[in-house]
Amino acid sequence: MAHYFKSVLTVLAARGLQAIIVSVIVGIVSFAMMQALPGDAAFRIAAGRYGYDMMDAAAAEAVRLELGLDAPWFVQLWGWLGQLAQFDLGNSLVYGTPVVDEIATQLGYSLLLAGGAVAASLMIALPVGIATGLNPNSLLDRICMGLSIFLRAVPAFALGVVLVLIFAVQLKLFPVAGFRGIENLILPSFTLGIGLAAVSNRVVRDAVVDAMNSDWQLFARTKGLSARLTLTRHVLRNAALPVVTYVGVQLAYLIEGVVIVETVFAWPGIGHALVHAIFGRDIAMVQGTALTLGLLYVALNLCVDLACRGIDPRERAL
Amino acid sequence: MQQTNAIQSPHAQTRLPKQPIAKVLGFGLVTGLAIAAIGGPDLIGVDPAKQSLLATLSPPSLTHPLGTDHLGRDMAARLLSGAQLSLSLALLSVLTAGLPGTILGVTSAWFGGWTDRLLGAFADAVLAMPGLLLVLMLAAIAPGSWWALYAGISLTLWVEYFRYTRQRARIILADPSVEASRLLGLGPWLLVRRHLIPEIGPGLLTIAAFGAATAVTAVAALGFVNVGVRPPTAEWGVMMTELLPYWREAPFLILQPVACLVITVLALHLSVGGLRRS
Amino acid sequence: MFRSLSLAAAIALAAAASPVLAETRSSVTIASPWEVASYDPAVAGFTIQKLQIMENLVDADATGALRPGLATQWAASEDGLTWEFTLRQGVRFHDGSAFDADAAVLALTRAWGQPGVLQKAPITQITAKEGKVVVTLDAPFTALPAFLAHATTIIPAPAAFDAEGKPVALIGTGAFAVSAFTPPQSISLMRNDAYWGEKAKLETATYLAAGRAETRALLAESGDADIVFTLDAAGYSHLSHVETVETSAVPIPRVVALKVNAAHPFFNDPKARQALSLAIPRDGIARAITRFPEAAADQLFPPALNRWHSAKIEPLQTDIEAAKALLADLGWVPGDDGVLTRDGERFAITLRTFPDRPELPLIAAALQDQWRDIGIELEVSVASYSEIPAGHQDGSLHVALYARNYGLTPDPIGSVLQDFGPGGGDWGAMGWENQKVVDALKVIASTSDQELRQANIATVANLLQQELPVIPVVWYQHTVSIDKNLEGVVIDPLQRSYGLSEMYWAKD
Repeated sequence: MAHYFKSVLTVLAARGLQAIIVSVIVGIVSFAMMQALPGDAAFRIAAGRYGYDMMDAAAAEAVRLELGLDAPWFVQLWGWLGQLAQFDLGNSLVYGTPVVDEIATQLGYSLLLAGGAVAASLMIALPVGIATGLNPNSLLDRICMGLSIFLRAVPAFALGVVLVLIFAVQLKLFPVAGFRGIENLILPSFTLGIGLAAVSNRVVRDAVVDAMNSDWQLFARTKGLSARLTLTRHVLRNAALPVVTYVGVQLAYLIEGVVIVETVFAWPGIGHALVHAIFGRDIAMVQGTALTLGLLYVALNLCVDLACRGIDPRERAL
Repeated sequence: MQQTNAIQSPHAQTRLPKQPIAKVLGFGLVTGLAIAAIGGPDLIGVDPAKQSLLATLSPPSLTHPLGTDHLGRDMAARLLSGAQLSLSLALLSVLTAGLPGTILGVTSAWFGGWTDRLLGAFADAVLAMPGLLLVLMLAAIAPGSWWALYAGISLTLWVEYFRYTRQRARIILADPSVEASRLLGLGPWLLVRRHLIPEIGPGLLTIAAFGAATAVTAVAALGFVNVGVRPPTAEWGVMMTELLPYWREAPFLILQPVACLVITVLALHLSVGGLRRS
Repeated sequence: MFRSLSLAAAIALAAAASPVLAETRSSVTIASPWEVASYDPAVAGFTIQKLQIMENLVDADATGALRPGLATQWAASEDGLTWEFTLRQGVRFHDGSAFDADAAVLALTRAWGQPGVLQKAPITQITAKEGKVVVTLDAPFTALPAFLAHATTIIPAPAAFDAEGKPVALIGTGAFAVSAFTPPQSISLMRNDAYWGEKAKLETATYLAAGRAETRALLAESGDADIVFTLDAAGYSHLSHVETVETSAVPIPRVVALKVNAAHPFFNDPKARQALSLAIPRDGIARAITRFPEAAADQLFPPALNRWHSAKIEPLQTDIEAAKALLADLGWVPGDDGVLTRDGERFAITLRTFPDRPELPLIAAALQDQWRDIGIELEVSVASYSEIPAGHQDGSLHVALYARNYGLTPDPIGSVLQDFGPGGGDWGAMGWENQKVVDALKVIASTSDQELRQANIATVANLLQQELPVIPVVWYQHTVSIDKNLEGVVIDPLQRSYGLSEMYWAKD
């Protein structure tokens, strides 16, 4: 056990260091990319602020003057790093509100949605994957394969509107869009979750098939464990490893990749905010968001690491 | 040979029953798609960009076997034109993401130690950069360029292969049967062939078959946030986005590019299954 | 982050626990595409004004006629250089503080310092004098009161600004006060019981920004939103068959227009611009894309601008053969690939447009296909709309397709002056100037003689129709779906108000 805690401490230290490196790299890379974008930043920011009815060259010049966009890039980068060192992410160039405030609200909603989506996907993928994994190449397995392919090929927005049509408009079970309550979370979560489950149920299935065919499974059965005990104690435990890793990767995509579902369901998430920030050249907002997502990713990785270590003793030795 | 067989891990021994029908179907579909992609709209001799604003959203008919889209363009011609772009780009993104991802994953697991740590840190750094940011930035740096779009998509997708391979390979290489093979002095290539490919291959191929779909739906997703749309380009993902507004009036239209994508993934999957078993 | 997470969870629980419906409903949900993420009137003024949170000194009715708002009356001095606005007494902001001349001057001075309409007026000073707001000009400008009805000149409370003058809250004088704000998606409103005018009939209202037209149509169909603004053509067609809602389309002073770089050698002859216009399939676009066949724009100013639209003007036509003939007159000869050439140059041009209005890329694709028939190779670039003013400034623009709203202020002279005045405008003429138009616009802007004004408007409209510095394509409709039980809904063609305060629910 002491060995286990020692290894956990090592992981924590490594991830802490990684967090610092990630913040610096993400900050600099996103800054560099924003600088590399073609087009005049003042025009884009003015466009993001004033809309096409009010935006013109005069507005762009006013923005340029106000924000000091003429300053050389290293002055701007230094300014941002200086602010960051004081834990200040600055103000949104487009909306004028503090970046921290915007991220705080939107990240909360994004995490809620990502969590809902993973829960929904596991609710589908685990039973389906285990059932098909225990009966590979059965009719059920093939049907699930076909369904997975179909659901993977349907874009999230189409799936979203179909779910809304069925469950919100026809059956009136859930609201269409917005974020007034927990009932608003169901449809977007399942829209995302179904897409995720289309892949992850196959990952679960393959992992279960592998675990069922393994030496220790045979050994466990030979040594007289019941089929049920073998399944819960050995097969699922071993199958869990690739699944946990995979879910970790999916989560990382999810938190920022949900922009489509956020847009369809009018959900105030961070992916949506990031897209708008990039279009509007809202450098402060892009950097703040990228930084937050980067750190979140490190935290997520830490959880996956610890979970893997908890599941598989071999991982601890490595 | 005798010896290696005796200590071979049991996974490779599980022979699945051969399914010639699925295999033939898979290769048949792949051939069909390849012909469609190479021939393009010339196969039916209809201009995919020709509009008819007075005959929009029309159902299938003799003149337009698959109907017309929201600008009165022939759907069949557009799907064929889309096959050229979508299939070549899907293939490209699977290769550019899958090959480096897998090779780096095996390398990482094989050498362990600092190599593993460095590669792992690199993958983490890439993943820590929001993928959306990378894709959108690359798309913005070269507006209207499909290559930039796909470079961005590959850049975010390779990590999936890397992490999967690394995770699995680590466990396999720690397996007693593999250690035994190593002790017997078998070369690395044999190890890869005997143990890694049969163990990791199926999972990787599943990821790759789905990866092709991911690439096309990613283009649809980008089209949804208004990136990469340049009329009159026909690409399956873009068509899905363009036809979404008409999903109530003419649901058969948006289903067509989706169906094309389903057929593609199915074809890949069946022929991959065939390859795996032969 | 954790705080907001628990906040979201708390909202979730509260909503789940709340009882379903009272007998007569006293709340509505409005859905519209426009997101609100700022407290700044210069940025979010349009939505703040439409939701009746803040008000202007000057208000306007549906026809564009001005009426008192926070100012009860206004008058210009003899020379037209000084305007005095007498303010309404006894008005209070939502936070209880009094509305007075100082508050108005603070807000207007800030608006004047921001990019926006006031910078387009010849203002030299805004001051408070004896409880009145006094605006001094350096040239007569009759449209000033109309400018003070614009969304960016709404009056926030002094408490809505922080110490540095940055807007940090949504506090106004309007019929509704803000009870919760979740940028960029939603604003919750409650009735202002201390409102100076007729108080709202509803107790609360929720504004939801749903960016996708498909979502808004579904919100309307399911009844989740009681009133939904700006539907797409397909959604509008569908909702007109839905039992529970009523759909309505009101013509508005917005027009899809094609800006042509008249300084470009391809387009410096009016004949070339006329050829482009003749090759625009307006009818097909109005039927198939926007789906209001009567809204094919045969002149720039839409019927909703009743003083500027003219029935007497010669309407623009679509005639492919005539277009080809005009281009042949200008020396263009079809090349081997069907594309016109002249002096070794191919007629290959780029059109810039933007996706924020989904119909624009579709119209651009329609133009691309039609112009191919007359031998013009058109590349369509769909990007940020800022590329259009940017291309105007650096001269790189060929043609641009956009939607222009001539109803931003009740009197469109401000926008027209910007677009077709000296030097042209970012969203108007490029490389084109016509002295007769400039002179006529000067008269329109400064005279209060209605007949003289009307005569000059006719001059401007006719010259624009002949010279086509900007080619009209289609006019817009404001599309709305309304729950059948919701009464008192008034759709404002100038889009200054959602009319929340007058809505009420029919008793069952």
